[in-house]
Amino acid sequence: MFNLKKSVALFAAAALATLSLAGCSLTGEINKEVVVVTHDSVVFTDEVIAEFKKQTGITIKQIKAGDVGAMTNKLVLTRENPIGDLVYGIDNTFSPIAIESELIDGALEPVSYGDVCLNYDKAWFANNELAAPVSIRDLTKPQFKGLTVVTNPNTSSPGMAFLAATVSMFGSNGWEQYWRALKTNDVKISASWEDAYFTDFSGSSGKGEYPIVLSYSSSPAYEVRDSGDFAGESQTASILDGCFRQTEYVGVLNKAKNSDAAKKLALFLLNDPFQSTIAETMYVYPILESVELPKDWQEFAPSATNTFGDQLDIAANRRDWLSKWSEIIDVN
Amino acid sequence: MPKKLLLWAAPLLFIGVLFYWPLLKIVEVGLSANWYEIYFESETLEAIWFTIWQAALSTLIALLIGIPGAYVLYRKQFWGQRWMRALITVPLVLPTIVVAIVFSNFRWIPAIPLILVAHVFVNYSLVVRTIGGVWSTMDNETEEAAALAGAGRLRTTLQITLPQLKPAIVSSAALTFLFCSSSYGIILILGDGLVQSVETQIAAAALQYLDLNKAAALALLQTLITVVAFSVSEAIAKHPIGIEQVDESTRKPMLDHRDWPAITVTGLAVVAMIALPLLVLLAKAFTFDGSFSLQNFLNLAGRGDRELLNISVWQATLNTLRNVAISASIAVSLGALVSYLLSRTHRTRRARFSNRTLDVLFLIPIGISSVVLGFGYLVTFGDGPLPIRASWLVVPIVQALMALPLVIRLIYPALLSIGTEHREAASLAGANSRQTWWHIESGIIRNVILTAVGFALIAGIGEFGAASLLAFGDQATLPTVLYALISRPGSTNYGMAMAVSATLITLTFTLVLAVSSQKPRRRVRGVLKSRR
Repeated sequence: MFNLKKSVALFAAAALATLSLAGCSLTGEINKEVVVVTHDSVVFTDEVIAEFKKQTGITIKQIKAGDVGAMTNKLVLTRENPIGDLVYGIDNTFSPIAIESELIDGALEPVSYGDVCLNYDKAWFANNELAAPVSIRDLTKPQFKGLTVVTNPNTSSPGMAFLAATVSMFGSNGWEQYWRALKTNDVKISASWEDAYFTDFSGSSGKGEYPIVLSYSSSPAYEVRDSGDFAGESQTASILDGCFRQTEYVGVLNKAKNSDAAKKLALFLLNDPFQSTIAETMYVYPILESVELPKDWQEFAPSATNTFGDQLDIAANRRDWLSKWSEIIDVN
Repeated sequence: MPKKLLLWAAPLLFIGVLFYWPLLKIVEVGLSANWYEIYFESETLEAIWFTIWQAALSTLIALLIGIPGAYVLYRKQFWGQRWMRALITVPLVLPTIVVAIVFSNFRWIPAIPLILVAHVFVNYSLVVRTIGGVWSTMDNETEEAAALAGAGRLRTTLQITLPQLKPAIVSSAALTFLFCSSSYGIILILGDGLVQSVETQIAAAALQYLDLNKAAALALLQTLITVVAFSVSEAIAKHPIGIEQVDESTRKPMLDHRDWPAITVTGLAVVAMIALPLLVLLAKAFTFDGSFSLQNFLNLAGRGDRELLNISVWQATLNTLRNVAISASIAVSLGALVSYLLSRTHRTRRARFSNRTLDVLFLIPIGISSVVLGFGYLVTFGDGPLPIRASWLVVPIVQALMALPLVIRLIYPALLSIGTEHREAASLAGANSRQTWWHIESGIIRNVILTAVGFALIAGIGEFGAASLLAFGDQATLPTVLYALISRPGSTNYGMAMAVSATLITLTFTLVLAVSSQKPRRRVRGVLKSRR
């Protein structure tokens, strides 16, 4: 029994030590460190972090707070005592919530954009001697029956983007019609982008059954083959008509503990050298037009020609669209 | 009595401050005036109904194929048994994202049956180990007598053995039911996001709509489900049953040809349901550009295609190991203390009631959505006396909360099984309680603690929910790295994700095997024999 007591004492000591450690890391060096809250896919390279430190003497600390929705909601929940100094990566599907909740000190500045587009497997269409679709309108045609996989807008942000694109393209009266036609044409719904792209799509490493998948206009740059029929070129391409443009923003948080440093970092992120790293690390296009895109991108991943999204208030309509969508697709 | 209260303080403070406080806080922040109305919305009702029937059906299937498995793997003896026991434990601790990826390869099965299969895959070993543990220590005299009297083996099993195993069956069923009813990743991915359960509704409410009222109300419902499942199992089982109590000292009979029905069921389950999916995953880990290669593993030293990860996979491995070392220490030391205190109560009705209340208090964390708990941490530990929400320590703390009930379920029943007889005998012989502990109990406990350490470690290795909500920046763990890798296009990242999964499988397998290879000490055997 005595050693149990000992372990209790040890535990108490450990707990105390732990708490004081945690306390130190929270209070120490507060002005030399800026905390940036991002979604899970945001990458700051070592070089970028070193460059900012060189210019300002401030260290960047990144907090990954889940996907865009989770991140936004965590920020709303903690707005009286924010978990960081600035936010990177709130997009146009969630920015109205951020503004409504008065999360941001000043304005949200656009920092990058990505186009949610359907991709198709060029090899599959070549083998089956079928012309690939050129617009999302084509997906309801009989020759493309059972070929498309998209993601569920309830659980996936590209899925939500695509749903918004269809609302934009077909109007508030036509979009439900379009989805009914998609359903009749045996569209497959997956929970997540990962699942759709890697398990169901025939043009990726998963080698699935569906030659058309909901992804991004930049994805084909990552399907360039070293050998075979598509040596030196991409096995996939995007359907550039009917894409949704996701614009991502950076903004200083209200009640930030280190708001001066946060403003410096926001400015830094809108310029080179950071902007040049965006395409390579985050698979989206930099907002700064002077930045040269990587070679594979220039060849295989042009941004979309016809995009939707800017004119919609997604935050206000999300629930309504989702419940209608779920009814059409017949959830449960 | 005051001394005992003092000892209770540590575990109660731990779970009170680090679980119930944030939980109550988020419920308080979340619930609006008419919060109960949410339970009557058709969407919620459907989700509740689905959650309950799928968990019940998953549990039933797990029992049907798990009972023959317990017989073959624990009651009988054969070459390679220990390896097989380790193999079936791997699914229990795989991150659900990996389980979902594995079963995505079997899409020709419709969504809901596939979810059930995946749940059985994960919980099979829980059933087999719990029931097998009791079965292996059970007397076989009655069975032999029945056999001599001409009863067939099946009849003997049904009429004599199963009733004796009832407590273990019920106890493992309750735990399986809880794991299945709070399952998230598997239902989300295999259900294509179209299948709604309580847990997926909570995640959508909290993460997509910031509907904290719904999230909090449903979290309360989860607590209720846990309490009910626990109470039902306690009412039937009468006394707590451990996850594994194996007495390796008795020689068990070898398998023989009359065992063929059990062998067939178990063989099919192990090969088709467990080995095959794991092999599919391993095959993917060793495939690069369409041919066999070690390239995916070599890539693990880097940070993914185009520096996707903040840290290399090896650093994430170190983070994981550090986290589980801490969480296992907390879980096992507190779990041992709680078990000890629970086992030292007088057998009065009131004491039994308070024991059960305390027991269920420590069980509730495994039934609660990690999303809700994560949000609770955000609002509770931002400032005030404990500003720990940005610290890496929150991950091992939450892992410890999740491992604690498992640890208690290993140690508490073992302590009870020692019974009061030895203690009484020892004290009659003039030994004080310290001597009793040291000479008798510690030896028996040592093995059980070792198993508990193993379980706590592997439970932490695969933990994803808390880590993904609370692990910040350079504090990524193996499962969160895995998720980051699979979220991006490119075969390099996909291959690396498969290699990480393969590493997790190997790590788990090795750990389980290492823990199970410890033979009980001689002293233990003496004690156990003297009981008979």
